[in-house]
Amino acid sequence: MEPFWLWRVMLVVHDALVLLVDFSLIAFASNKPGKVSLSMVAPINFHPEAAGLSLMLAVITSSDAPLVLLDGQLAVIAASASFCHAFQIDPASVPGKRLSELGNGEWDVPQLNSLLEATASGAAEVQGYEFSLNRNGLAPRCLVLNAHKVKYDDREQTRLLLAVADVTEARANDKIRDDLLRDKAILLKEVQHRVANSLQIIASILMQSARRVNSEETRGHLNDAHGRLMSIAAVQQQLAASGLGKVELRSYFTQLCKSLGASMIPDHRLLTIEVSVDASVTDGNTSTSLGLIVTELVINALKHAFPENRSGKIVVDYRSHGPNWTLSISDNGVGMPAPSEGVKPGLGTNIIEALAKSLDSEIKVASANPGTAISVIHAQLAVVPVARIV
Amino acid sequence: METNQRSTFKLLFAGNRMMNSAVILVVEDHPLIRLSAMELVEAAGFHAIGAENADAAIAILEARADIRLVFTDVEMPGSIDGLKLVHYIRDRWPPVHLIVVSGRDKLHENQLPAGSKFFSKPYNDNTIVAEMTRLLGT
Repeated sequence: MEPFWLWRVMLVVHDALVLLVDFSLIAFASNKPGKVSLSMVAPINFHPEAAGLSLMLAVITSSDAPLVLLDGQLAVIAASASFCHAFQIDPASVPGKRLSELGNGEWDVPQLNSLLEATASGAAEVQGYEFSLNRNGLAPRCLVLNAHKVKYDDREQTRLLLAVADVTEARANDKIRDDLLRDKAILLKEVQHRVANSLQIIASILMQSARRVNSEETRGHLNDAHGRLMSIAAVQQQLAASGLGKVELRSYFTQLCKSLGASMIPDHRLLTIEVSVDASVTDGNTSTSLGLIVTELVINALKHAFPENRSGKIVVDYRSHGPNWTLSISDNGVGMPAPSEGVKPGLGTNIIEALAKSLDSEIKVASANPGTAISVIHAQLAVVPVARIV
Repeated sequence: METNQRSTFKLLFAGNRMMNSAVILVVEDHPLIRLSAMELVEAAGFHAIGAENADAAIAILEARADIRLVFTDVEMPGSIDGLKLVHYIRDRWPPVHLIVVSGRDKLHENQLPAGSKFFSKPYNDNTIVAEMTRLLGT
């Protein structure tokens, strides 16, 4: 058992240590950024609970985020270094002042005062309150304030913790970003407009030329070229409408076939084009290729399947399952003749074969009795897991 | 002799125009597109007049009383665009038929005057001619 005098020495040492810790927390005013400086007011009661209180005050004063501790009369008990530095408040001028008295009165705003008073009385909390700090000769700062009553121990003293976030830069960046997005949308529309105009010019020139030439064959070639152009134009319109770089095939093929019908079918009571497509969606390049294949095959059917005013129907069908898809164009016309020896395939055949190859697909031609069915099939090999035998 | 033939020719030509060609005003700022559209109108049997913006179109409409249809682009330089133009025309000259085309926006029926039609660029020549024929009843 230690002697009694040792206990008394230990108590004195303890008190001295507490005193040392507390005194070391007292303000060393400094205006140099980056240096830790603190501002504290109310006298500390030197008993063991003071260590806990000191910790709270130390946390507040050294906080990176601007923090202010207020009492029930909205007087500042402690303000973080970051608060003083951010809002150019001299830490030495803080002790004993109410929040509204800080600086040159820029914190003395009726709405803020009433909000803090309501918080102090427990009637409200300040959550995300947007506050514009206006100081003479300085640009206004956009602040977001949060304040709530701090409850600790059984103390009856009112304590408010006010957190201040300066969002001026963030708001400015948001505005810049929104402006850029809007400019980008406007530019995109401009581009679509120019593309549509260019396609219009080319389409018009082709039609004008078709009207002027005397040769039936040449006129046919020009009309085919016009058809192919309209198929590309239709993709552009779909892409413009979706805005996401994706094309809904059902609406694209429907529009395409309507356009082809309008250009190439003289009597709609005799010939119709039917479109049956599932809900598939693809990217711009794939849909352009698919559309060009549809254009070629539909033009072919219109030219060859219904001679001598024969009536009939052309069906454009597309369905996909996972990565696999099948496009088929069929008609109920006179059917395909047997392939002749030594006849070079026309431009249309070459286009279809090249496009099918670029889409990793194969072409199948079958008789539809009556008529013809041409399918373009894209099928990947599925990997079937091997069953384990236990 | 020659003079007589020429005058006969002129008379015949004017006579045909007066009898079966409705006058259509084509409003489009791009010269190539405007010329193509005017040629399309003429090939369909109508008589085409061109204007390169809304202000010019209004001046023409004020100067002559025989324009029966206005075919206009939306995007044009000048004090008003094609959409405002057709609303103005409908207000001031109600009997004139209206066809609107655009390469940028897809317009809805409720944005256009009643009875007017909208087509996206590039438009299908046959579709446009069919619509003009339907509206002008020839």
